[in-house]
Amino acid sequence: MIARTAGIAPARAVVATALPALGVALIWIFVVVFVVYPLLRVFYDAFSDESGRLTLQNFVAFAGDAFYRRSLWNSLLLGLGTVAATSVLGIAIALLLVRYDFPGRDLFGYLTLIPIISPPLVGVLGFTFIMGKAGTVNILLEDWLGLGTPINFVYGVHGVLLVETLHLFPMITLNVVDALSRIDPSLEEAAESVGARGWRKLATITLPLTTPGYVAGALLVFIWTFSDFATPLVLGVHDLLASQAYLNIVQFVDRRLFRMGLVISALMVALAIVFLIAARRYVAIKDYSSLAYARVPRRRLGPVGATGAVTFLSAVMLCSFIPYVGVAFASVGKGWSMTPFPVRYTWIFFERVIVETPKYIANSFLYSALAVVLCIAIGVPIAWILARTRLPGRDTLDGLNTLILAVPGTAIGIAYIRAFHVELPWLAVPLTSLWIVLPIVLAVRRLPYTVRGSYASLLLVHRSMEEAAASVGATGARSFRDVTLPLIWRGVLVGSLFSFVTSLQEASAVLFLSLGGWETIPVGIFAFYIAGSANEAAALGVILIVVAAVSVLAINRLAGARMGGMFG
Amino acid sequence: MKIALSEVTKRFASTTAVDRISLEIADGELFTLLGPSGCGKTTLLRLIAGFAAVDAGEIRFGERRVERLPPYARNIGMVFQNYALWPHMTVRGNVTYGLRLRKLTGAEIERRLAGGLAKVNLTGLEDRYPGQLSGGQQQRVALARALVLNPDILLLDEPLSNLDAKIRVQVRGEIRALQQDLGITTVYVTHDQEEALSLSDRVAVMREGRVQQVATPKALYERPVNRFVADFVGTNNFIPGVVKERADGVAVVETALGALCARPGAPGPGAPCVLAVRPENVTLDGAGENVVAGRVRLASYLGNTLRYDVETAAGLVLKVDVGDPWQHEVLPAGHAVRVAFPASATLVLSHD
Repeated sequence: MIARTAGIAPARAVVATALPALGVALIWIFVVVFVVYPLLRVFYDAFSDESGRLTLQNFVAFAGDAFYRRSLWNSLLLGLGTVAATSVLGIAIALLLVRYDFPGRDLFGYLTLIPIISPPLVGVLGFTFIMGKAGTVNILLEDWLGLGTPINFVYGVHGVLLVETLHLFPMITLNVVDALSRIDPSLEEAAESVGARGWRKLATITLPLTTPGYVAGALLVFIWTFSDFATPLVLGVHDLLASQAYLNIVQFVDRRLFRMGLVISALMVALAIVFLIAARRYVAIKDYSSLAYARVPRRRLGPVGATGAVTFLSAVMLCSFIPYVGVAFASVGKGWSMTPFPVRYTWIFFERVIVETPKYIANSFLYSALAVVLCIAIGVPIAWILARTRLPGRDTLDGLNTLILAVPGTAIGIAYIRAFHVELPWLAVPLTSLWIVLPIVLAVRRLPYTVRGSYASLLLVHRSMEEAAASVGATGARSFRDVTLPLIWRGVLVGSLFSFVTSLQEASAVLFLSLGGWETIPVGIFAFYIAGSANEAAALGVILIVVAAVSVLAINRLAGARMGGMFG
Repeated sequence: MKIALSEVTKRFASTTAVDRISLEIADGELFTLLGPSGCGKTTLLRLIAGFAAVDAGEIRFGERRVERLPPYARNIGMVFQNYALWPHMTVRGNVTYGLRLRKLTGAEIERRLAGGLAKVNLTGLEDRYPGQLSGGQQQRVALARALVLNPDILLLDEPLSNLDAKIRVQVRGEIRALQQDLGITTVYVTHDQEEALSLSDRVAVMREGRVQQVATPKALYERPVNRFVADFVGTNNFIPGVVKERADGVAVVETALGALCARPGAPGPGAPCVLAVRPENVTLDGAGENVVAGRVRLASYLGNTLRYDVETAAGLVLKVDVGDPWQHEVLPAGHAVRVAFPASATLVLSHD
């Protein structure tokens, strides 16, 4: 027995050490090639001229141009404004959901999740149908009040602010809900025992305790707003940095303008990095979460309070759902102009986008599915490395993973255009000419969700559970299969599902990279809308919404609505 | 300030956590609520503090009815089991928070802060955050935070349960000394009977929402009123039996070990009962009123004592403590012994 083991052992040992090492190497290659290199490339391009020499000239040109300066200022203001608006809305809703009990609380808890997971492009589209100059509301106002000129609800920066706020407030809500439910009740009781109550307790104890989660949410809201170009463009706002980045990059005429696009992209990445470091510093000092034994009991609202809460939440939800109503009508409505609602209904637009040109749906599902497979193949091992090993470079991997979360799709899309426009050695075509670049960019964009979902689940599987399996004779792989996997699959699945549905909706990065024949649903929506075929765009939008709603239901079932960690 | 509870009741969904409890706690007394988890002791403390509302009954602080008042109107100081220090505030911030709410002047706040920290020996740590303090220090910050408001009553909810064993004994002594210096009426909740005995003026043992016995530590240990209290406080040998006769301060009880003499209790002649005798009152010398033959089954050497599990003829195992193991060779398992215990240390308790 001993002799046999001794004979086999060396070969096994080689395999046992070589395989993991190979796996780790592959992961690092993927991360370096598809994350580090493109981002570095953007900086290199921003700091070099056409001949490749390093220079600050691009930034000087950027700073010297009054239009870009104004755009930068507008983008910053818009970002701050959206953070302020989403904070008020998001925190108020989180407090209501966590601390109070009123009719329909569970339903509202579910509904608040929908805007965040619904495709942003569809949101802005829907708003224009209902709130636009020839939208339902203006037509009704004209009919009823005889208003001569339509009210401009959405076109302009105020419209962007409105749309972004209604789309992004759940990001604050989720993070604050998560933080609130982790506050130990005795912290607030201690405040009560020394005399703090009501607003005072809220302002000095409760809200400060939610700051780590809140800050993470607020930073993401800012970065999102700062880098979103689709919403402003649909609403006719061009003097924002993101809009300029898109317009400059997709025109292939003026090299100088193209360079400016790269500079803006570099600015976005830099901003993401700065924010990330700031957030890390802040959150590292201030981790207030405790393993609370109990929860602060929900206070049942009286009839007046309950009515107020339900009215407030209904109003917010109603506003958030305006786009869905608009898109739903537009997708089946014919002859919808100068009337509050469509006059005739038809399935023709669905027929066009599903039967006549099935490529949108087919591409979307194919690319997103491949992206999820990549995410799992790369993300679960990364999560395992983070949770279970002390490998060198572990912190870097963790940092990069969080960085991806913060770097906007706009910047990644631009980075990929530059980084992978070189011909591959043995194919004689650049990667950007192969459709596989889309699943790859989607996988990179969504990697953090898979990593975080798996990491959180792995942390719950205490090391000693695996050791206990080993102590009764299970090998490493066996204990992973029998002990670890059954305990983490739920987290991995939730992360994957989330990655899948958000991949389907990804517009920014894909819009830069998509070539003829590769169109996904969001690319189709954007193209149809810009070309004036709003109904086809709406039909595609409805399809995305349905997929999103089903996914949220599934995720909710699996994860019990605790998605806050995904965005931290 | 004295505390009077009268028929205080608290129900949760299906259980009665606190069931018609009446207690009087004297001014300046350190009164402990002792019991196993789920006995209602923490709920009772939270009713006194005002974090939960009574379903029935009265609570008075001095002459003042308080059971309908919110916590901040009762003038209490509370120390929570996990300290509940606000992690986003420094020691200074935590301790002075209540003072700032009361709009005291800056000088007065500084004076009270310095006094409060001096009381708990934390001077110099004003600007630390709770995360930078040891468990014992956090506990003392919590105590200082409760005391700077000059409360009428101090409430402590298992304040030592998160500390290491050695620190626990030290802080226990500090709390007792501080409480006596200040002369503040204190209600202390714990499940640790040793803690309760060592620092209380009086202890109430609770079970399933009811008070079983209120007594000084000495009386509680030496004269428990029923089997539950005798079992929960310290260690006891229990020998079931039936009272045969009771006269002249001695009861004779028929048991599996024969007729044994004991101090009479509530059960009268003919009633089933249980005899309770503590291991330290059982000797191995085989001389005395109640003598029983047996064999050593297990010897546990604990340093300050040596405990034998002695199996008697009837299969009943008696624990026997030898108080001076230095003078005693450890007997091997199987060794035949004759154990004895005096009637004066053997109690007749009702079989509950």
